[in-house]
Amino acid sequence: MAEKLDVKQGTLALMILRTLDVLGPLHGYGVARRIEETSKHRLTLNYGTLYPALVKLEQEGFVTAEWRQSENNRRAKYYSLTPAGRRQLAREAREWNQTADLIAAFLAPRREAP
Amino acid sequence: MNALRAALARIAGVFTRDRGDDDLREELLAHVEMETAENVRRGMHPDEARRRAVLASGGVTQAAEAVRDRRGLPWLDSIAADVTYALRSLRHGRAFAAVVVITLALGIGANTAIFSVVRGVLLKPLPNRDGDRLVYLRHSKDGPGADNLTFSVPEVRDLRNGVPSLAGVAEYSPWNGILQGDEGAERITTGLVTGNYFEVMGLSAVHGRVTRPGDDGPGVPPVMVLTHEFWMKRFAGDAGVVGTQLMLDKRSVTVIGVLQPAPFFPDRMDALLNMVNSDHHLSAMMVEGRSHRMTEVVARLAPGATLDQARTEVEAVSARMQDEFRQAYNPAAHHRVAVIPFHEVLGEQARLTLWLLMGAAAFVLIISVANVANLTLMRGVRREHELVVRAALGAGVARLRRMLLVENLLLTLAGAALGVAIAVGGVRLLVSLAERYSPRASEIRLDGAVFGFMLALSVAVATVLSLLASLPREGRFASTILSGARRMSGGVNRHRLQRALVVVQVAVSVVLLAGAGLLTRTMMRLAEVDTGLATEEVLTMQVPLLTTTELMSDPRADAGAKVRYEQMRREAAALPGVIEAGIGSPLPLRRSTIVFDVKAEGRALAAGTPTPRAELRTASPEFFRAAGIPLLQGRTFAITDGPTAGNVVIINRTLADLFFPGEDPVGQRIAWTGEVLRFAPISGDWRTVVGVAGNTRDGGLDAESRPVVFMPFAQMLALGGGLVIRADSNVAALIPAATRIVRRIAPTAPIEHVMTVAQYKDRSVSPRRVNAALVSSFGILAVLIAAVGIAGVLAFSVSARTNEIGIRMSLGAGSGRVQRMILGEGGVLLAFGLALGVVGAYFAGRVMQGLLFGVAPNDPATFVGVAVLMAAIGIGACWIPARRAARVDPAITMRA
Repeated sequence: MAEKLDVKQGTLALMILRTLDVLGPLHGYGVARRIEETSKHRLTLNYGTLYPALVKLEQEGFVTAEWRQSENNRRAKYYSLTPAGRRQLAREAREWNQTADLIAAFLAPRREAP
Repeated sequence: MNALRAALARIAGVFTRDRGDDDLREELLAHVEMETAENVRRGMHPDEARRRAVLASGGVTQAAEAVRDRRGLPWLDSIAADVTYALRSLRHGRAFAAVVVITLALGIGANTAIFSVVRGVLLKPLPNRDGDRLVYLRHSKDGPGADNLTFSVPEVRDLRNGVPSLAGVAEYSPWNGILQGDEGAERITTGLVTGNYFEVMGLSAVHGRVTRPGDDGPGVPPVMVLTHEFWMKRFAGDAGVVGTQLMLDKRSVTVIGVLQPAPFFPDRMDALLNMVNSDHHLSAMMVEGRSHRMTEVVARLAPGATLDQARTEVEAVSARMQDEFRQAYNPAAHHRVAVIPFHEVLGEQARLTLWLLMGAAAFVLIISVANVANLTLMRGVRREHELVVRAALGAGVARLRRMLLVENLLLTLAGAALGVAIAVGGVRLLVSLAERYSPRASEIRLDGAVFGFMLALSVAVATVLSLLASLPREGRFASTILSGARRMSGGVNRHRLQRALVVVQVAVSVVLLAGAGLLTRTMMRLAEVDTGLATEEVLTMQVPLLTTTELMSDPRADAGAKVRYEQMRREAAALPGVIEAGIGSPLPLRRSTIVFDVKAEGRALAAGTPTPRAELRTASPEFFRAAGIPLLQGRTFAITDGPTAGNVVIINRTLADLFFPGEDPVGQRIAWTGEVLRFAPISGDWRTVVGVAGNTRDGGLDAESRPVVFMPFAQMLALGGGLVIRADSNVAALIPAATRIVRRIAPTAPIEHVMTVAQYKDRSVSPRRVNAALVSSFGILAVLIAAVGIAGVLAFSVSARTNEIGIRMSLGAGSGRVQRMILGEGGVLLAFGLALGVVGAYFAGRVMQGLLFGVAPNDPATFVGVAVLMAAIGIGACWIPARRAARVDPAITMRA
């Protein structure tokens, strides 16, 4: 089994936004499952990490929540992306890519002097 | 924006807590259900599926807690909890809370009240525009009565032309005028000012306009600007007064405006006039007389100029003047001109007194805080077990500290709230005190800045108290609990701190008591001072019949006034119970503002001695007997010393000692002298001394006696004359009858200074009495608090050492010995405190030297008395715990 990772500070919000962007409205369980699967189970989210993050996004106006019936007829709270959330996702994704490129460049194998 | 939105959502979350909690629980349980269902779908047994699901959640309760922290404002919640908790814990220790709150209220209240005065009188920026650029010029020379000579117009002219770093130099000449109203006449204090005065002072009108340079010189209409204070008092703030005509000094003057509220120096003002209001101020005597000084000068520093530059330039101009006009400046007298910031000169009389009171109040606060700190420490020990348990249950040290801080804040804020009540009462008393010292007393108020000061003080006190409490160190709770200890170690350190606090309390109390003692003795000495009058049964009333202009230029009016004064005198003398009535000016115990240089025939002054200056006073033949001023040598004036008879004078003892030491002055001749006589309506002829009068304390009981020359009332102008009436008893009862006589003979004249000698004395003593009373009450308060402090700390020490005492007693120590041991413990603290306090008192005495009279700043009697008193109270305070220690029953304590 792959090595377990902690969720890096600031990346969880991006993952949640992206998940909601791809899958549409989803409950907390669904979000957690999706993130774990996407990470090939290298990430596990306990509730104490996931739910405060959801509350924060809701407070910031990037997601909204409403109670709905789930696919197997259970009441669940569904989170969906707001237009502001969509913009935030685009912005954060761009910044993250830039940062990743930058770090990658720094960590690139040293070139031997000619 | 999103951060703001999130913050608002969190604040809203504080209020929607319960609904959110249910919601959250349902959401989290749904998560568990879904995961369980998924696990079952994968083929797990339902029980195992649920177990796995719960395990993966990482704890539903913890998650709910994390969300809750995220959703509301956790610190607000826990502070609310702290406040609730603190209130509950204080309710349990009601006596403790009451003592602390009252102690702090006294300390904080006193400080707030006195700070409001210090701020209003000394610290607040002046209402004048750019008030910090305003300076006051003071002209002085060596010799008695010469510390503020004021300036002559030629001198002001030189300063105006010779000092570039002063952008504007304005003249202001105090002048009394008689304002005729519907309800009789009233003397008002006015100032004759140059047109640039308001521009220089940086003051503007709230109604109408102020004077400007166009109002200067002769041939312009006379105008006046009312001060805000006078306008409110006399015209009840009616703006309609602007533009009306008032009768001032029997001529019609237009009111052109009302000034913004502002302090004046050296006196409070009722109105400001342009120069044309006084013929005298346009006369050659005023405009050309270099030593005819009656003008105060205020100036404004030029942009970019510094005070030091102005001082240097003013000094140069002053030196040049003295060089050029030798006859106007006696080189031996060292004429000099000081440039003083206006706000400093306004506060110069009040400064020492106020800082003294502020210091005393601060000392009371120090003692209060020390006491509360001791109480808190002792209570802290009893609460240690509770704190340890709280720590063990998960409260961090930071949380515990915050809990204590909240508790202390509650206490100090309650103290501050009660302190406000004390401050409000105190400020009223203090304003009446400050009015005697400062023209800015009306600016004293309990405003936002003062409350800010109080709040800052309270928070500072609470913080200090919280930091003093020792808390368990992180990570040591478990061992503390395991050991079953009810107390943590570190007791020795804490004991040391408590003892240090007691020593400080005793020392500070001694300083305060010594200050109180010195001020009380000052007051007593002052009350004992001989006024120079043989009796207190003397009534004075001043009745100015003539305006200054009439006095100077209308001999017929002067003669008529003298007739009316004599008529008043005769009728007053005929009142039942009256021993004698006289006329004179100024009245006894009031200082004369008319001061001239004086010389004696055939007496050359030693080289380098400045020419003596003497007060000019007038007296009728009956004056000395009526006032009770003893005649030491020679005779009093006689009816025969009339206007055409030979010039005679009576001098006071100070002048006699100055001119004729060891000789008989009677028959010698003296004369007024100086360049100013060229302009004054008074001759420099020789006058024969016919008598020597005893000195009187004019201008305050602590004032030095100045040289005085009495001239016969008949041989001098009827300057603002008045009646002096002596009765055999209860002279104050004569006031209505005497007033009726004056009213009948001079229906329109103001009647001023209706006072008995006893009232004069009291007026001189009463500010000192307030001073002494304030500092004494601070001192007594301090001693009481300190006594409670000593008793408390010793009692605590006894209760902490009950075991030890029990062992000592069972090993044979008698109760007397135990008692001595505890007394000794207290005695050491007391001795240290006393020693420290006496040293402090020595320095405090030196600082307050300027407020003392007739007592040395290190007066041994006061210091010994204070030390004995403090020692007695301290030993008394030690006695109670010592007795308790002696009554310890070893059988009981050992078992416990």
